[in-house]
Amino acid sequence: MAKTFDLSGFICPLSKIKATEVLNNLADGDTATIILGDSDSLKSVAQELKARGFMPNFKQEGERFVLTVTSSGQ
Amino acid sequence: MAERKQEADHQRRVYSDITQLIASPENPTPLVRVNRVNPDKDFQIYLKMERYNPFGSVKDRIAFEMLKALDTKGRTLVEPSSGNTGIALAAIGNAMGIPVEIAVPEKIPEEKKVILKFLGAKVTEADDALCPIFPSEGARGLVNALIKSPATRDSYVSPNQYENELNVQAHYRGTGPEIWQQTQGKVAYFFAGFGTCGTITGVGRFLKEQNPKIKIIGVEPSSANHKLPGMKRITGLAEEFIPKILDRSVIDDTVTVSDEDAYQTAIDLARKDGIMVGPTTGAILYVALQYAKRNKGLAVVISPDDAFKYTSFYQEVLNAASLNNGGGI
Repeated sequence: MAKTFDLSGFICPLSKIKATEVLNNLADGDTATIILGDSDSLKSVAQELKARGFMPNFKQEGERFVLTVTSSGQ
Repeated sequence: MAERKQEADHQRRVYSDITQLIASPENPTPLVRVNRVNPDKDFQIYLKMERYNPFGSVKDRIAFEMLKALDTKGRTLVEPSSGNTGIALAAIGNAMGIPVEIAVPEKIPEEKKVILKFLGAKVTEADDALCPIFPSEGARGLVNALIKSPATRDSYVSPNQYENELNVQAHYRGTGPEIWQQTQGKVAYFFAGFGTCGTITGVGRFLKEQNPKIKIIGVEPSSANHKLPGMKRITGLAEEFIPKILDRSVIDDTVTVSDEDAYQTAIDLARKDGIMVGPTTGAILYVALQYAKRNKGLAVVISPDDAFKYTSFYQEVLNAASLNNGGGI
């Protein structure tokens, strides 16, 4: 299942808390696209993804940062 | 029809609502002399016992001042707190019909979290390493995000005790004049901890205006990773994390204290003088006792709260002491 979570309305650490909730609820094989609105949020969410062993697909759309991750059941 | 609010009658102890019990120069918290822990007659130490505020701590004063001035416009009040400000805000918020959320650090005692929940406040625990913006203060960072995020900012308002001048004013107009009156102008030393820095700035400023010779001594934990909820190590802290309300010009000396000395002093105070205080009082009193060894005069030590909210913390210390003493405490 693929879902998009627009967290661009939340600054850090709310963005990180929301992103962590998203990651906690991913089932094996699920794909989540997380949209962030500032660089501090990107930094803290990226740290969280790294700590969990995710290799996100990253792209920047204007002032928004888009991270796509797929759970492999780590 | 709602009954009109009457003036507080401190003589008969009759009040028309609980907030009227918050200390003021007309209704000061007690000053109690420490006799057995400090037998030094040349350096008498008095505790300013803030536990006698209606919600149990020095923070009742600032919470009331800040809430009176805050137009919430139907928004939820949110504040970072190691417990005492949160408890005071939640209780006063209840009395005023304002919903309250409190972000707390992970290391506060369970007792405080229970009291906050008992009061109906929403409690969020914030990991100190939650965000690089506030690398050591997750609760402050979380509240900052709730206030500033486009998705939430219209729903929340924060009194922000770290930057709110009313935090200082509560002590400048209340605690400071109380100490001056209660000691009949004889106070020579005032000891307080660094936390939001409202107490030391407000009381220090008032006392210095009455007598510039009064020494104001700030107490901080010896390590940033300490177990003294409400206290902050200022030394070495990046400037942006130092409370903006701190006025360093009123402070004559800054002294550090270890957790061990703070807890042991609080336990000694209970066992020798029968006065049950929180560990921050132990920390501040420890420093005053060091001053007693080489100074003369009347000293006032702020005692922010009591022992009851820290029984789980004290239990750890007592258990460790029991183990070290082969079963005896």
